[in-house]
Amino acid sequence: MSQLDQLTCQETFRRLDDYVDRELSADEMQQVREHLDRCEWCASEYVFEEHVIQGVRERIRQITIPADLLSRISLALDRETVEPPR
Amino acid sequence: MPSSRETFEQLLAAALPSAFGVAIRFVRNRDDAEDLVQEASLRAYRSFHTFTPGTNFRAWLLRILTNLYYQKYRQRQREPQLTELEDAPDLYLYLQTRDAGLHQRSDDPAGLVLERLSMDHIAGAIDALPDDFRMVAALYFIEEFSYEEIAGIVDVPIGTVRSRLHRGRKLLQKSLWQLAVDQGLVAPLTPEAAAP
Repeated sequence: MSQLDQLTCQETFRRLDDYVDRELSADEMQQVREHLDRCEWCASEYVFEEHVIQGVRERIRQITIPADLLSRISLALDRETVEPPR
Repeated sequence: MPSSRETFEQLLAAALPSAFGVAIRFVRNRDDAEDLVQEASLRAYRSFHTFTPGTNFRAWLLRILTNLYYQKYRQRQREPQLTELEDAPDLYLYLQTRDAGLHQRSDDPAGLVLERLSMDHIAGAIDALPDDFRMVAALYFIEEFSYEEIAGIVDVPIGTVRSRLHRGRKLLQKSLWQLAVDQGLVAPLTPEAAAP
């Protein structure tokens, strides 16, 4: 990659949210990855943002669903099935 | 060959934790979340013939659930208005943790913040986001949908999902920092403490 293709810190920062979400084009993903490989400052921001998102995901997914929810829906489906369509 | 009812219930059983997790963030209480999931499931069953096998059932179900939420629940809730919110600056949490010295204390300063916070703290912080941001955040954090998939579920352009998500994440970071400070993570910086 030539110097011209290399992203600055500012250009990397502008793409960081999309990079974290894998929402850049393949070329841009690669450019950001290469910048992060050589810039400790931006890499530390990236790792931090990624850890926050992972931490929020882990906790928010700990919701317990009501144990009988599926069976209640199933019963409602039974009623739905026996009732003739109007 | 399984009946369509059996197939539906199998797919629903696998999708239910996700649907309930999203629903509870939409309506912010368990009772309404149960009603929302149950009614969305019945609607999904009625239109199961329109579902294309092999495509993403959870995204399909969540789209139905989201439509139902728009129709039945959204108007009932008093929402914080966007104008009431101050945007958080970029890298809010990163800079707060750095300035508080947490980057010297650990290789994983984000972990130091998050280990202070329970699921209820995080859920409360998401629930405090305005409706549009909260919906996108719920779909993003509970599932790992792409912006395009979220856009399809909430029926807004991809660019709108992107901006709501990025802005919502910053607002969330601000709340998480405040909660972690309230939990005793660090003493709030005073001018004296910040002086060299």
